[in-house]
Amino acid sequence: MPASLGRLTRCAVLTALALALSVAEGLVPLTVIFPLPGLRLGLANLVTVYALCRLSGREALLILAARCLLGSLVGGNLTALAFSLTGGLLALGVMAAALRLPGTSLFGVSIAGAAAHNTGQILAALAVLQTQAPLVYLPPLLLCSLVTGAVTGGISTLLVRRVPAAPFERKSL
Amino acid sequence: MKRWISFLLAFSFLCLAGCGAPTVGDVGTSGQIFAMDTVMNLTLFGERAESALESARTEITRLEQLLSRTREESQISMLNAHAGDGVEISVESDLAGLLAFAKSVHQALPGCFDITIAPVMDAWGFTKDAYRVPGEEELAELLELVNSEDLLVDEQASTARLARSGMELDLGALAKGFAAGRVQAAIQAEGITCAMLDLGGNITALGSKEDGSPWRVAVKNPQDTGTYVGVLSLTDATASTSGGYERYFEEDGVRYHHIIDPKTGAPAQSGLLSVSVISPDPLLADALSTALFVAGEEEALDYWRQSEDFELVLCTQDNRVVVTQGLEESFRFDGEELGYTYEIARR
Amino acid sequence: MRLPAAERRRPGPGDGIIAALVIAAAVVLLLLLRPASGDVLTATVLLDGAQVGQYDLSGVEQSFLLPLEGTAYPVVIELQPGRVRVAESGCPSQDCVHTGWADSPGEQIICLPNRLVISLSGTDHPDFDAVTG
Repeated sequence: MPASLGRLTRCAVLTALALALSVAEGLVPLTVIFPLPGLRLGLANLVTVYALCRLSGREALLILAARCLLGSLVGGNLTALAFSLTGGLLALGVMAAALRLPGTSLFGVSIAGAAAHNTGQILAALAVLQTQAPLVYLPPLLLCSLVTGAVTGGISTLLVRRVPAAPFERKSL
Repeated sequence: MKRWISFLLAFSFLCLAGCGAPTVGDVGTSGQIFAMDTVMNLTLFGERAESALESARTEITRLEQLLSRTREESQISMLNAHAGDGVEISVESDLAGLLAFAKSVHQALPGCFDITIAPVMDAWGFTKDAYRVPGEEELAELLELVNSEDLLVDEQASTARLARSGMELDLGALAKGFAAGRVQAAIQAEGITCAMLDLGGNITALGSKEDGSPWRVAVKNPQDTGTYVGVLSLTDATASTSGGYERYFEEDGVRYHHIIDPKTGAPAQSGLLSVSVISPDPLLADALSTALFVAGEEEALDYWRQSEDFELVLCTQDNRVVVTQGLEESFRFDGEELGYTYEIARR
Repeated sequence: MRLPAAERRRPGPGDGIIAALVIAAAVVLLLLLRPASGDVLTATVLLDGAQVGQYDLSGVEQSFLLPLEGTAYPVVIELQPGRVRVAESGCPSQDCVHTGWADSPGEQIICLPNRLVISLSGTDHPDFDAVTG
C-alpha cells in the first residue's frame, strides 16, 4: 500500500517537525521580552497551516492531536495537554474556515489562527482555574497575535510556496 | 495594502510597548533589589530619581561586598579568616566606624547585643539554612568565643582584628540599618528629598510625602503577619522591627527563632514578640531593635528613659502593645480587634 | 481542492478584515473587563523581578493550588477567595511558608531562595505606604 504508507510517513515527519518546533520555541520563550502568560510565537502552527494547505483537514487534525499528546508526554503534564489541545483545535477550525475566505492570504489565516489559539488557551485556563481572572490576559494576547500571526504568516507563505506536495508524492493521491 | 498592514503592526507594537513601560510621575520611581539576604524596595521622588536609584544600587552592591560573611573577598570575611593571628586588617573607614558603633551598643546594653555571636548562629544553622538544636556543652564552648571586647578596632588607623582564633563576626543585626543610612546619604547627594526605603521591613522615610503629609508605616502583628497592630506617621525617620516570628524553625514541637541571646546562646525569651524602634538614625534603629528584643520590656523601657534619640513600639507575649510617649501623637493603635490592649509608657 | 489563500502571495482585503476583527475583539474585551467595583484584590507573582503571573483574588471562587514554574526550589502557591499564601516550598528556610496568608493590598510574601515575590494590590488603597516587621 504505497499510498497509505506515504501518507503515514508524511504525517509522521510533520508531527515530528511540529513537536521539534514547539520544543525549540519553549527554549527561547517570548515571555522573557514581554511578560505575558501564554504568549508564544506559535511556530508549531506553521505545520498546521502547511498541512491544511497541502494535505487535508483530516491529516492536519491527526498531526495536531499527535503533537499535543506527544508534547505533553515529553515535557508537560495533563493540564498542559488541555491547554494545547483546546488552543490547537480552535486554531485549526478557524484557520480551515479562513482559508476558504476570498481575498485572504496566509497572513490573515495565521493571524486568525494565533488569535483563536490564544482564545482557546484562555478558555482552558478559565475552566481549570475556575475564575474569570485569566480573561484579563486575552486582550493583550489578541493584540500580540496580530504580530505573532503576521510573523508565522510570512514564514508559512514561503513554506507553502517553496515546499509543494511533491516531496510527499502527492501524485499518488 | 501591504503598507496598511505594516502600519497596523507598527501601531500595535507601540500599544504593547506602552503597556510595559515603567510608571513614572506621581507614583515615584521604584526599584527592587535582592541583596543582604533580603528584598529591598526603594521608591524615590524627584527629577533625578532614576539616577539616584542607580547610585543607591551601586552603594548597596558595594556594601554587600564589604559586609557579607559568605563572600570570601569581603572585609568581614578577611577579619574572620585572620581571627587570632594578630594581623591588623585594614578596613574601609565607614566599616571601622560601624564596628566601633556595634561595640558601643554592646557596652550600652551588656549581654543584649553582640556581633561576635556568629559561631553560635552557625551552630543553630540560621546562617546556612540547615537548622538544628545544638547541645548545651557545644553552646557553652561556642559562647566562650562570643565577646565584642575581643574585637579590636582602631578608628584612626581604620584597622580591626579579632583577638582570638575561632571568633567570627556577623553584621546581620545592623547591616540593613547601616545600608539604609548609606543609601539615604547617596540619594540625598543626588538632591532627593522625598523617598521611602524599605530594606526588608526596615523602613526609612526620607522627608514627607509629596503632598506634605507624613509617610504612613504599618507595624505588623507578630501573631498574624497579615494584620497590623497600628500605623506610624513618620517624617525623616526610620522604623526598624525585630521579632522572632519570621525566621524560625520547629523541632519536637518547640519553636526556635533566629534572634540569639548572647548570654545563653539560645533564642531570646524576653516576653516580647516584636520590638519596633523609631529613630532619625537608621543604624541606631536597626541595632537597638535587636538589642532591646533580647533585653525585654523592662530593660528596654529603662534604656529608653535614659535616651533621647529613639521611640519604641513593643508587642508583648501577654497581648499588650506598649508605645513610648514620643509616639503618642503619631501612632494610631489598630490592635484592639486583634486582642491587644494599648499602653503608653512615660518617662 | 484549490484553496485561494494558499496561493496568494500578498495580503488581501480579507487579511485586513481579520486583523480588524481581532483588534475589535480585544477592544471590546478590554472595555468589558474594566474593573467595575473598587473591591478588587490582585496578587502579582514576580520571579527575579519579572512578572510571571497575576491573579484576581476577588474572582477566585474556591481554593486552588498552583505550582510555580521556573523556581529554583519547587513552590506551590494557594489561591483562595481574597487571599493567597505559599502552601509548599522546597526552599531551606521556609520563611515564605511561615508568612502565611496575605489578604490585603500592600502585603507581600517573599521567598528569597527562589527570588519570588507575591505582592497584593487593590483598588482599595491601604492607608499606609510601607510595612515594618
